[in-house]
Amino acid sequence: MTMQTMLTDPLAAIVLIHADDLLMLGHVQSDWTGLAPILEEDIAASSMAQDDLSHALVLYQFLGDRFDLDPDAIAFDRSAEDYRCCDLVTVPDEFDWAVSLCKRWMTSLFAKLGFDRLATVDEGDLSDRCARLADEAAIHVTHLGNWMVRLGAGSTESKARMQAALDRLATEAGMLFEPPDKALAESDGFCCGRNEIYAEWLAEATRVLEAAGLTSAFTLPDRSLEGGRRGAHAAHFTSQLAEMTEVRRSEPATAW
Amino acid sequence: MVSAAEIRIALDQVPDPELPVSIVELGMVQNVACDDGCARVTLLPTYTGCPALPMIEADVRDKVGAVPGVQSVEVAWCYEPAWTPDLVSPEGRTKLRDHGVTTPCCGQQPTVTLTTSAIPCPYCGSQNTRLDSPFGPTRCRSIHFCEACRNQFEHMKPRS
Repeated sequence: MTMQTMLTDPLAAIVLIHADDLLMLGHVQSDWTGLAPILEEDIAASSMAQDDLSHALVLYQFLGDRFDLDPDAIAFDRSAEDYRCCDLVTVPDEFDWAVSLCKRWMTSLFAKLGFDRLATVDEGDLSDRCARLADEAAIHVTHLGNWMVRLGAGSTESKARMQAALDRLATEAGMLFEPPDKALAESDGFCCGRNEIYAEWLAEATRVLEAAGLTSAFTLPDRSLEGGRRGAHAAHFTSQLAEMTEVRRSEPATAW
Repeated sequence: MVSAAEIRIALDQVPDPELPVSIVELGMVQNVACDDGCARVTLLPTYTGCPALPMIEADVRDKVGAVPGVQSVEVAWCYEPAWTPDLVSPEGRTKLRDHGVTTPCCGQQPTVTLTTSAIPCPYCGSQNTRLDSPFGPTRCRSIHFCEACRNQFEHMKPRS
């Protein structure tokens, strides 16, 4: 089997959505280690970044077993257009905690819903793996949701910063739901349907935002709109990918 | 012939790298078999992101490989059943409590969650405690604070 076989497989496309989102989110968020506003959140944010990377690995290992590929090769050796992450995860936050928090909260909620669905798919041990991941992702969703409410309902300044972050990320958030390839666009894949997973995501997001006293005008973009999930990545993704894979590309056999 | 029981005795000598308990006491050993000198050990990861897992795997290979009669060691990680703190043995619970880490009582999950229940303080026994953060020093532990004796303590996180 080859990387190409995996890249044209419909189930792999769905698994890669989550694996690539979490690989890039974990990579980008680890920049915050040592810099978060309070000690407990520094530990929490670093722990969540560590979880994100390990969740990506659990999914790459499933694909590696299924397509006889090295999980590291899947993670690091594809060309930029073959990554299926959405560009929300690599939007630069310029060390604005509100942007980082909103981004992680929206992505974690999407990942949790995705894992719940993959936990019902009868393919090897994918369901066992994703049941575990859903369980761990639920802790992220609850923790990040609590902070959305705490800062949204906090001071005038924290509320204004959270609202500005939400407004900045609203368009990118819709692209979480971009179908990963044309075949799936026709059959409305995602293990159920794009509209259904969006409705569930929006209901939970709205519940939290109402408790936080924040507003956001999320919309589901037209399915023909091409973004990161179909390889049309923003420049900030390609620069982050280049940075992440630099050591691997310069010393492919390095281990540590 | 090497028996599974001999392999289990060797596994009892594999400590968690950060807690004063063995991986057997933590409930991480799912299955043990030995066939013609080939030992097969199936382990349950506590949390998928735990950086101690590769260390534990290497230690299992060393300790089981040193059992007389064992020619080779296979280690597999499995996700079903999922590890929960319910699997920690009574001896493991006592050792953890003495170390300042509490463990959820068997059968309380999933109704007892981190945020809705007061975890009894391991130092003074008070139930007047609160969650500080679900993310503690390791992936399997959360941080709590006792309002009665003003001590911070750790808790083995229940599965959500």
